[in-house]
Amino acid sequence: MKKTSEIVIIGGGVIGTSIAYYLTKRGKEVVLIEKNDLASGASGACDQDIILQSKNPGIHLQLAMKSAEIYKTLEAELEHPIEYENTGGMILIETQEELEIMKDFVKRQQQIGLEVEILDLKQARKLQPGLSHHLVGSTYSPQDAHVNSIELTLGFAKAARKQGAGIMLHTEVVGIKQRNGRIQGVKTSRGDIDCEIVINCAGAWAPKIAEMIGLTIPIKPRRGQIIVTEEVAPYVMGDVLSARYIVAKYNPDILKNSSDPGIKLGVGLSLSQTQKGNILIGATREFVGYNTDVTRTGLKEILKNATRLVPGLKGMNIIRMFAGLRPYTPDGLPIIGPVEGIEGFFVAAGHEGDGIALSPVTGKIVSDLIVDGKTFMDVSRLALERFTKNNPKA
Amino acid sequence: MKEKKPVYICRCQEVTREEILEAIADGARTIKGVKNRTHATMGLCQGRTCRRLIEKMLAEVTDIKELKPGTRPPVRTLKIEEVIKGEDS
Repeated sequence: MKKTSEIVIIGGGVIGTSIAYYLTKRGKEVVLIEKNDLASGASGACDQDIILQSKNPGIHLQLAMKSAEIYKTLEAELEHPIEYENTGGMILIETQEELEIMKDFVKRQQQIGLEVEILDLKQARKLQPGLSHHLVGSTYSPQDAHVNSIELTLGFAKAARKQGAGIMLHTEVVGIKQRNGRIQGVKTSRGDIDCEIVINCAGAWAPKIAEMIGLTIPIKPRRGQIIVTEEVAPYVMGDVLSARYIVAKYNPDILKNSSDPGIKLGVGLSLSQTQKGNILIGATREFVGYNTDVTRTGLKEILKNATRLVPGLKGMNIIRMFAGLRPYTPDGLPIIGPVEGIEGFFVAAGHEGDGIALSPVTGKIVSDLIVDGKTFMDVSRLALERFTKNNPKA
Repeated sequence: MKEKKPVYICRCQEVTREEILEAIADGARTIKGVKNRTHATMGLCQGRTCRRLIEKMLAEVTDIKELKPGTRPPVRTLKIEEVIKGEDS
């Protein structure tokens, strides 16, 4: 085991491994420490979507678009099959009210440069024949894509290792050492490692790591349950979301007051088919602490919602269900950057359901910030201080 | 030279013993770790046959007490229509 490293990354999910890859690419000395295994948290319990059009027009979408650009050559770069595929995607619109909201959303996304449009039902059904006749239409963007999140995480880790990163699995960080406001090292279940920089990439567990140095991070675990069908012939084109998913994502308060069990669970459609043929049907968005159980209500409500929008799913068989903990932040944006007051402590967590989509750009930003002190865009809005300075309660 | 016949552990996903040993060598210490690296247990039968075999292989490199049960509902394939109908709808 290494006793010193310039940089220690905590967390072996898609964010930690991406950062390990980009930092070692820039010649940095890195050790990544993971409590369980690579992709053992949310990165190994999610869907496969890289959706640009679900991102709020603004810095969120800008990050996703930069990531999408990196994705195009990532597989070749990592020399690992990550099953990236530029499939396109759509957001299903059920009511006139949703249509008005989506029209505005799409217009603002177009202004940032995203290729996205609104289709009427006839056009939408041409792309996606399985859609229910009661829909009003959908959005469509050719820029959405798929990736296998597990292979992506393993691929980042493998490439980072090749570039010299040390990867310690089944090793738990139990303390962080600092002196006079400077990071000195980490204590782990397998001994101490001295380092100058610690990057907290622990996703939904990031607050627990931060607590070790007396820091509060407003990330909460948000459970997402997903159902898997048997392998079937190609049936679902690209990524499919529902406008209600967008509502569930950005307005959790509106949903809290509903008595509908599906709405209470934050159920919003997320549908896609893997290269093997399994259809992934999601998902809930629930605050239940660190509980990763799957539930009967979750199962039923997810399927009720999905079959309302795509009735042909009814005849298919499900084989499996799983749940992952998305790292939720109060404003829906990830926390990325150095933390003021503790020299050498960085956070890269809180991507909620966007971690897979944003992992390449997050790795690039963090490595740029560490190596050059700046990156290709202004990321000050992603700093942890946005919660502590303006709102002392957060 | 006679080619050695592969030993299939997971029949649905056609994963061999050798591939599972590679996954363990790569750091897998749980069923999920093996699953993530090889797709074993992820086919139609969801690990009916191979889970026990893989657990046995894992037990040689890890503390058996740490092998948490990884099975979740549904325990068998289930038609979506039947779930929606359910008894309480």
